[in-house]
Amino acid sequence: MDKDKRKIRILVAKPGTDSHYKGAELLCQILRNAGMEVIYTGRYQTSEMIVNAAIAEDVDVVALSSLAWSQKAYYTEVARMLKERGAGDICVVGGGIIAESDKPALLAAGVTGLYGPGTPYQEMIDHIVQRVKKDRWHEN
Amino acid sequence: MQTEQHFSASGIPIKDIYTPEDTKDLDYDKDLGIAGEPPFTRGPYTTMYRGQVWTIRRLSGFNTPEESNKLYRQEYELGQTGFSVAPDITTSVGVDADDPMVEYEIGHSGLPLNSIEDVETAFEGLPIDKVSTYLAERGPITAMYFAVAEKRGIDLKQLRGTTAGCMLSWACLNIPLQPPPRGYLRYGVDFIEWCSEVAPRWNPINHDSYNPRDLGLNAFEELGLLFAAAIDFIEEEKRRGRVPLDRFVRRFSFNTAAHNDFFEEIAKIRAARRIWYKIVTDRYGIQDPNCAKFRVHVQSSGSTHTAQEPYNNLIRIAYQTLAAVLGGAQSIHANGYDEAVCLPTDQSMLLSIRTEQIAALETGVTNTIDPLGGSYYVESLTNELEERTWEYIKMIEDMGGMAQAMQDGWYHRLLREKPIERQQKVDSGEIPIVGVNTFRFEKEPYKVPIFKPDPATSREIQAEKLRKFREKRDKAKHAEAMKRLVEACNSDENVYPYVFEAVKVGATFGEVSKAQVDVYGEWPYPIGL
Repeated sequence: MDKDKRKIRILVAKPGTDSHYKGAELLCQILRNAGMEVIYTGRYQTSEMIVNAAIAEDVDVVALSSLAWSQKAYYTEVARMLKERGAGDICVVGGGIIAESDKPALLAAGVTGLYGPGTPYQEMIDHIVQRVKKDRWHEN
Repeated sequence: MQTEQHFSASGIPIKDIYTPEDTKDLDYDKDLGIAGEPPFTRGPYTTMYRGQVWTIRRLSGFNTPEESNKLYRQEYELGQTGFSVAPDITTSVGVDADDPMVEYEIGHSGLPLNSIEDVETAFEGLPIDKVSTYLAERGPITAMYFAVAEKRGIDLKQLRGTTAGCMLSWACLNIPLQPPPRGYLRYGVDFIEWCSEVAPRWNPINHDSYNPRDLGLNAFEELGLLFAAAIDFIEEEKRRGRVPLDRFVRRFSFNTAAHNDFFEEIAKIRAARRIWYKIVTDRYGIQDPNCAKFRVHVQSSGSTHTAQEPYNNLIRIAYQTLAAVLGGAQSIHANGYDEAVCLPTDQSMLLSIRTEQIAALETGVTNTIDPLGGSYYVESLTNELEERTWEYIKMIEDMGGMAQAMQDGWYHRLLREKPIERQQKVDSGEIPIVGVNTFRFEKEPYKVPIFKPDPATSREIQAEKLRKFREKRDKAKHAEAMKRLVEACNSDENVYPYVFEAVKVGATFGEVSKAQVDVYGEWPYPIGL
């Protein structure tokens, strides 16, 4: 049964001009090791490019990574645009050094997982799996 | 007696104790000498800090040229002795503030410098005729800076400062819209040639291993990259034969990290001086010893700073600063303790300047030159690092040199493996980090003040200024200068006289950058995931 289990498809994206890409790369490897199908946009993406890719690839999750403080602007924009395009069931999570003061707005916009440095990977993986099962696959 | 085996951070086996036996092969005159004399192991200058202490130079800038100007004035008043300018991430990419791509990131990680007007604003009222400036960019902004200096009546022949222009840093930062390594090398060498003529006291290149080091390379790998990159530049000029090599390398400058292993970092800087001397003198036969002086800016290593218990970073920074001082650095940047959390607050900026001033004025370590020279341990480490660095340089040269190794993806693969290797050692506890993997609190014991830039406002201000600037400039002159620049980029000519003309008639950094990159096309990320 487990072998036929559907794989989670996840888009890892880097919005904006921020070039700190190590976190995104590492994230891709961690998610792959966790058995997910990972698609990586590479650097220098606009919100629109990311949303287009997410819809075209029919992913379950968009994981955003930026070490610039444009996180609030980009992450909320991606979440909003996904909803507008009828893809609000795609789970959006974000990583980076995210200011405490930005967190409420991000959560309210639907960026449900926010991961700073030192977060145990499992915490993020558990959150993603749980949300995908509920919102995308309608299990439970 | 033999206790458990110890290793330096770079893996050099460390003995229980060092004795004269460990330095018996050292020939004092040949391997050490006094400071200011070949091979410069003990220091590039005769008087070192007794004559003048290192330059206190923090890389900084944020929001807008106007606000950064206030910051630079403040730093100067606090006793900083050199300016160091970080363009923001949008400028680093090479796009202007009114580009739709950079809507949310103006003034982040630095200040936007789109035009000569921005450079003028950023340096308004600052004594750039007396104090040297470091510009973290690769040439065009320096051309704007020169034009501003000229306008202020400063003789470019006397102007002092440094342009980053380093291949290693740029490539590992993986900045979008940049040319491939051969293009980067071409414009870098163009810039050095041009500066050697118009601004001979300016350091036209700062070979910089700080970023790769921060990604997990060790001390001799860091030096190996540094010198392999410098050799690439010299080889390119040798091939061209436009400028005599002594003039070409005379103002080469360097930039390294100061990492955690205290004595190894000191030995690293000492070894670097001896290696550079040998490269310039033995390999290239350059006779003037002034060309063989390894002059270095050292910055405390950001990757050692932690987001947990940020005040611990103050202590790390102070030790790293001390290592840079005992190694004999010419210029030092003690980081802000809050670097792992945010851009520095006013308070952390003050503390970082004070860290250097306390080292300079209170500790007494500046009383004599190279105080650790002759230490059995430090000399032995210096020798070990030198030897391992030569091997590393050779390995890179066997791949066709640094630019080729980048082009082939070797560098990026290395930079992918190293951070993971280091992280695994941190996870396993092999590398202890206090407050993170050892003595860690369940809950953070305290919070520190956070600084936040204001990208939305900065974008508005900057885009509007740029619109007016574009309107104001003489369109015919601008078009003509851009045409000539594009032609130069497409030829073998040195592009910088044309860059200089273009920025003077209002070409923006984005326009110049595009002209330069278009010839080669954007360098895609060289390896797959």
